[in-house]
Amino acid sequence: MAKTILAVDDSGSLRQMVAFSLNAAGYQVIEAVDGQDGLNKARTQVVDLVLTDQNMPNMDGLTLIKSLRAMESYKTVPILMLTTESSDEMKAQGRAAGATGWLVKPFDPKRLIDVVKKVIG
Amino acid sequence: MTSETLHVAELRSLLQELASNGESHLAEVEADLSQTTTLLAEAIEKLGVSFFAIHNAVLAQQKALDVMLSAQNLSETEAGQLEIYRQKIADEVGTAVTGLQFQDLTAQLITRIIKRIAGLKELLTSLDEYGDTLNHASSNEDIAKLLESINQTLRFKSNVLTTESRKSVSQQDMDSGDIELF
Repeated sequence: MAKTILAVDDSGSLRQMVAFSLNAAGYQVIEAVDGQDGLNKARTQVVDLVLTDQNMPNMDGLTLIKSLRAMESYKTVPILMLTTESSDEMKAQGRAAGATGWLVKPFDPKRLIDVVKKVIG
Repeated sequence: MTSETLHVAELRSLLQELASNGESHLAEVEADLSQTTTLLAEAIEKLGVSFFAIHNAVLAQQKALDVMLSAQNLSETEAGQLEIYRQKIADEVGTAVTGLQFQDLTAQLITRIIKRIAGLKELLTSLDEYGDTLNHASSNEDIAKLLESINQTLRFKSNVLTTESRKSVSQQDMDSGDIELF
């Protein structure tokens, strides 16, 4: 059975590229348009990995990660940040919030898939 | 008309002209940026649709080719050449996926520019308001106080603007970014 990845990003084109790349590698992708939408979808669906942007309306990525980590079912689910943000300060905040890793945009599909495979197989 | 009142009138006129002209140019910049955002969004949508259509057509073509080739005995050289083409297509698709993310980055930059412009317009509105206040200035001392007050307001609003528009995109090219696992 294909593993499910929740892709959270307010950019439609970015979600499209993420879904295209991950689908091609055999993963099922659920899309969410911002952190709040991502949280709602994470509550109602079983997800193997969360891939989230940082800067989004309604709820940003760091808040989403903290909210997910507060849920029993997401204590150990890998969460990767995929964002334009690349400062050490932001990465440290991500790490403290419970992120599993940090990917700086734009992403290369091959490298994205390698990381996803490394994290969830 | 005394020389003092003449200075007040000139100063008021300067502030109001600066505010008026500045706001007018910024409104044009705002409109152009809004148009750019719309064009970029439409461009990425069309590029995305075409890209996926081309990709699906290439996949279908490769499958059809595989079926045809399985019925024939290809030499190692021919099979190797076909594999090179297949790999080349895969590499180019990857490069295109990276490049097609330009709209996400540029949209964030444009949003930041628009915020800055809104802040600049506020600064100019302040100048305009101070122009009106100058009518009540009756001495050089009043004018000096008012100018100092303008300076303070500009400094404060400029600092707020800088604080509120933190830069989230530092990329200078479309090369793929770093990856770090914690």
